[in-house]
Amino acid sequence: MSAYLVSVLTEGSIFGIMALGLNVIWGWSGDFDLAYYGYIAVGAYMTLVLTIGPAVAPAHYILGLTLPYPVAVGIAVITSMAVGLAVGSIALRHLRGIYFSIVTLGAVYVMYVLAGQYVPLFDGYNGLSGLFDPMGDWFGLDYLSYQYFFLGLSLVLFGLVFLFMWRVSNSRFGMALRTLREDERAAAAFGRDIYRLKLKGYVLGAGLGGFAGALFAAYLSAFNPSAWSPVEIIVLYSAVLVGGRGNIWGVGLGVLIMGLLVQESTRFLPMLPGLGQLNTVHPQVLLAMRGVIIGLVLVLFLRFRPQGLLPERRFVDREGALTVAPQTA
Amino acid sequence: MHDALLTLGFAVVTASILALSAVAFTLQYAVTNVANVSHGEILTVGAYAAYLVHQRTGSAVAAAVAAALAGGLAALAMHSAVIGPFIRFGATPTVVFIATLGMSFVIQNVLVIFFGAANVAYTLDPGAPRQIGPFLFTPLDGEIVVSAIAITAALFFIISRTKFGKALRAVSQNRELARVTGINATRIAGATFFLAGLVAGYAGFILAESVGSFSPYFGFGFFLITLTAAVAGGLGRALSTLVGAVMVGLILEFAGGYVSASYNLAFAFAILAIVILVRPRGLFTNARRTVFE
Repeated sequence: MSAYLVSVLTEGSIFGIMALGLNVIWGWSGDFDLAYYGYIAVGAYMTLVLTIGPAVAPAHYILGLTLPYPVAVGIAVITSMAVGLAVGSIALRHLRGIYFSIVTLGAVYVMYVLAGQYVPLFDGYNGLSGLFDPMGDWFGLDYLSYQYFFLGLSLVLFGLVFLFMWRVSNSRFGMALRTLREDERAAAAFGRDIYRLKLKGYVLGAGLGGFAGALFAAYLSAFNPSAWSPVEIIVLYSAVLVGGRGNIWGVGLGVLIMGLLVQESTRFLPMLPGLGQLNTVHPQVLLAMRGVIIGLVLVLFLRFRPQGLLPERRFVDREGALTVAPQTA
Repeated sequence: MHDALLTLGFAVVTASILALSAVAFTLQYAVTNVANVSHGEILTVGAYAAYLVHQRTGSAVAAAVAAALAGGLAALAMHSAVIGPFIRFGATPTVVFIATLGMSFVIQNVLVIFFGAANVAYTLDPGAPRQIGPFLFTPLDGEIVVSAIAITAALFFIISRTKFGKALRAVSQNRELARVTGINATRIAGATFFLAGLVAGYAGFILAESVGSFSPYFGFGFFLITLTAAVAGGLGRALSTLVGAVMVGLILEFAGGYVSASYNLAFAFAILAIVILVRPRGLFTNARRTVFE
């Protein structure tokens, strides 16, 4: 297996965990949350400050502990959930639709500005680095075998998260969340506490985002404001939308298509005849072409196939007396 | 005291650019009932058009006209290609919100492909600063503020006194009822987007002038502040938005002047969050109509 394939698959499984977390918030609970990438970033930053040790001048950051990686991941997830709880408790209480999106957009930009500008927090624009091969020395792995170890770890964790989400999907909680997405008033009439349910789903999603961020930090061994940007959430949304919103198998398919195929396609575009010289124009061209493709896919799928390639299974009355209106958002 | 007055001078310039951008945004909202997230890209397109024309002709007036026209055409294209079809197809406001976010991503990246992601320096000669009353203004600042006031006045004349303005208000209040009375709502919405695009394109030009440079991402950053101003004033209501824009512009410059300009965006959103939570319909509206969805 080539080193390239190993890195693509590792990235893909981390991306998959991110998409599954987003699916809880957007797919089931039905809220277009723009703050989600912030929870991934909080997870990544927290993992780093808990493992890389005290700051050496001129760097500044909080904590600077040397905890074992799994413990740091746990604390990072809890921190992400706490931030999610704070944002969610403000944004979910009364706001829905675009007003919810606008407030979460605000929240993520506040996080981004704080991480980038407030130096004592995470060393501002320089960011954090120095988490090399966590847990590698426990098993005495060298650099090369560590890549395989981390790939295996990511795949197993993705599998576990997928299994967990599959359980949640069919649980009463998962059903209740979907009911809120379809009709909040009806859910309230059946005695559901809308706000608490939505908040629970939101915090679960934020926790998964933080978990993916913690893995991402170990994969990159560093994290800084140029490694993430609030608009990167569009890639995750396109994956969930293309695969099938609300259906975890669909989300898996979306991750394969958008996360692996489209993300990596730009690497191979220059090999096509006539496109080879593109890279020489300026280095961002290929990255920008990927952005154009992702944006177009998002718009076209919203318009022509909003249910995605593998639509969520709907419960239809077998007698056919009641029809369920097609869901568009 | 002198510092405060100096800041006020800058703040008036910021507020007038923000007012143009926010009123243009709110007009688009008024006729479609959806927030156009790619509004910022109209400003970016305007800035690029102004820069290119200025390089060829060397005339600032031609650059301003080019910026407005490019902005108008860009906004019209957004409406006819994405927003209009989505509305006819019966999409909810949230879906159109997501679609325009995707469109904004596409336009930014297309601009990167053609022009590169780097900042382009673009400044006019500001002239020697002059004392006007207690404020320090450069002639360029003066031109920006005067042109913004003139454009706003013209816009409000069109909305309140012309037949087109009457149709615009009818569509914004009740699209179905307007159509029943024989108004072609799609056409009015398209024309409104063109008009708003003219204003936003010009705003992109003067924003690039006052900042001194621009990049493919420059409009999106300003859109976030525009959104704050429009929501703070009252989405879809031109006059309330104008007041909101002036207020947000003043607050931002003072906060930036006394704390740090890098936190501007965070400040803007703090204002926004408070307004949405306390008065979700905007500060200067008293309508009972709910704005959720």
